[in-house]
Amino acid sequence: MSNYTVLSPAAHKNTRIVTERGEALGDDIQYSLTYPLEFRNIQSCYPIFFSKNAETGEFLPIALFGFEKNENLFLDDSGWDATYIPMMVEREPFLIGYQGASEDELKPIVSIDMDSPKISEEKGQLLFDNDSQPTDFLKSVMSRLESLHQGHEHNKGFIAALTEAELIEPFTLEITLDNGSTHKLMGFYTINEEKLHELEGSTLEDFNKKGFLQPIYMAVASYARIRALIDKKNALENAKKVADYL
Amino acid sequence: MKNTINRIVIVGGGTAGWLSAGIIAAEHYIADNLSSKDHNFHLVLIESPDIPTIGVGEGTWPSMRSTLKKIGISETDFFRQCSASFKQGTEFHNWGNGKNTKDDSYTHPFTVPHDFHETNLAPHWQKISDKVNFANAVNPQSALFDSQQAPKNIATPEYAFHVNYGYHLDAGKFAELLRQHCINKLGVKHISANMTAINSSENGDIASISTDSHGDICGDLFIDCSGSKALLLGEHYGIPLISKSQYLFNNSALAAQVPYQSVDDPIQSATLSTAQTAGWIWDIGLPTRRGIGHIYSSDYNTEENARAELISYIEKTAGKDAAAETTIRKITFDPGHREKFWHKNCVAIGMSSGFIEPLEASALVLVELSAAMIAEQLPANRKIMDLVAKRFNEKFLYRWDRIVDFLKLHYVLTKRTDSQYWIDNCQPTSIPQSLQELLEIWQYQPPWYRDTQHADEMFPSASFQYILYGMNFKTDLDPSLKRTDRETAKKAMSLFTENAKRTEKLLNSMPTNRELINKIYKYGFQKI
Repeated sequence: MSNYTVLSPAAHKNTRIVTERGEALGDDIQYSLTYPLEFRNIQSCYPIFFSKNAETGEFLPIALFGFEKNENLFLDDSGWDATYIPMMVEREPFLIGYQGASEDELKPIVSIDMDSPKISEEKGQLLFDNDSQPTDFLKSVMSRLESLHQGHEHNKGFIAALTEAELIEPFTLEITLDNGSTHKLMGFYTINEEKLHELEGSTLEDFNKKGFLQPIYMAVASYARIRALIDKKNALENAKKVADYL
Repeated sequence: MKNTINRIVIVGGGTAGWLSAGIIAAEHYIADNLSSKDHNFHLVLIESPDIPTIGVGEGTWPSMRSTLKKIGISETDFFRQCSASFKQGTEFHNWGNGKNTKDDSYTHPFTVPHDFHETNLAPHWQKISDKVNFANAVNPQSALFDSQQAPKNIATPEYAFHVNYGYHLDAGKFAELLRQHCINKLGVKHISANMTAINSSENGDIASISTDSHGDICGDLFIDCSGSKALLLGEHYGIPLISKSQYLFNNSALAAQVPYQSVDDPIQSATLSTAQTAGWIWDIGLPTRRGIGHIYSSDYNTEENARAELISYIEKTAGKDAAAETTIRKITFDPGHREKFWHKNCVAIGMSSGFIEPLEASALVLVELSAAMIAEQLPANRKIMDLVAKRFNEKFLYRWDRIVDFLKLHYVLTKRTDSQYWIDNCQPTSIPQSLQELLEIWQYQPPWYRDTQHADEMFPSASFQYILYGMNFKTDLDPSLKRTDRETAKKAMSLFTENAKRTEKLLNSMPTNRELINKIYKYGFQKI
């Protein structure tokens, strides 16, 4: 469970954030939310799909890390083995919200999940210095949170455009591993490439202006990463087999 | 004389008229311009600005989902604009002994029993009938009724479901949504005018309709959606109404709209039907209000007494204030249907074709079925129209007979003897021969899908099972007979267990109707 409180120098003077990654630190996730603004980086490491928000039914883009619940094939003994880590993973254990009397006066409010396994008092990065000023670490966290907020707003328009053009379609991913076992991935959605190719010039132009066209093709390109994920899974299963044998 | 059938004129603009227009227009491409070439298809609906619609039918069958989808209406728009809610079946109270006991209730859910096409669970259920009622044993849906839960969640695509459902809706708003959609999206031409005359051609067909403000409207096929007056089929052609009052006694209704006590009050998952001294009270939950009414027989009850029973029900379920403020509208009808529905180039849909008490909400589904058959079988020319008409009449006469049988089944199994109404309902002379025969067969074998005569039967045998075993009917089975019995008994028990698990899962995962409907208002359903 999460336990978010508003971040303040008084309350979080001694709070440190562990920046290593691992199962015990809450990184054993099968997928994470992502945003079209980072699709270029995401597609270099992970397949991009869409999933439904259970509370609203709305589509959300996700980066896939594994084929089962709590399976993150990018985790190994030394941490998270990838050249890019999604913003939504990076932001842990922080959240950003905006408060203010009017639209113009909105101020960012940063919250922190005090139940996160990344919280410590002994090791990791401090958030505030002796003068109660944000450390460089916290400053970089804040700037990441702000791009996350922008990404979130841009994503709303992106999803609305995709839904309107009926470019999202359900799919089932069935993989067969070297050991013959099969895994079925359900409840995810992809870009309908047939419909994409039929889009009219005016729609394409509109998508391009709004910054939607590139991420669509980034998502399509990302499917090539499924193979890499399967390879990782095979390697994992083989390692298990060897371990059993020994 | 031109022989192709491509000018259709619908007379009357209630739910029947606009729903028929939508169904036919969704099947046939309508030309933009009325004066364009001969082979272009036109659909005109004439609606009187002076006659209010009666708005019958606030409950639909699951068939309405595919009908709306086909017409091209989004389910989100439908919920938002028609005050619609989910209807998952009917819940009957007091139909057995009438003593207001808690066990005197049963359900008819829309979902058929688990594994229905492979296994008939009815005989196996009889062995465990002291532990669990039939509907709960074979199907998870009825369990959702008690906690007012929805048949799906916000992540389920539009028109898809976890358990089958139809709708409760505001008929006036529904007609309005259909009207806008038909005119703006499907190219139906709307003429607001009063009909002043019906003009015949030499062969007795209707050639045109004269109106007070739009001249004569010519057509090849006229659809009579003028309500119980049946201006075309009844008044013009004199096709008589065949009364079914010897079987189904109810001929009067007192209808009321009752507000919720709080905006968060639960919305029921099923139509509630509570038996009274000489009829029954319906209770339909929309998001905005409840529709409550008393259907009764004026031969067995006075209006005064029927009114008192209705008020008492409202007092009990909505409070004294709501009951005191209620305005009650009275409707009378002669239960029955026209001798035929399609005569010459005129076909009746909706109340013009007949009306019977809404015990199983058969009014709108008959509109859907009639319009769908016309859309699909639209005669290519006048020469074959009489043949299509003959087949249409045969099909729908059969369907009306099945409706009468099925509705009557609800009455004949009662143990009530507290009024002459219930006693007379069980007299053999008041039971159609076809139903008497079925009841005799069911004494020794439970209904199953091979029971029914036609592939597109109105009521599947599952529905008969729900009523029979809901009303504690006993089928006397000889356990020794069948080779496969031992195997199916084992399978049946595992199906009961599976169903119990599935029930638990649904109860834990489905939102309440109120929660889901609020989410539909806020987020809408996805198409996929």
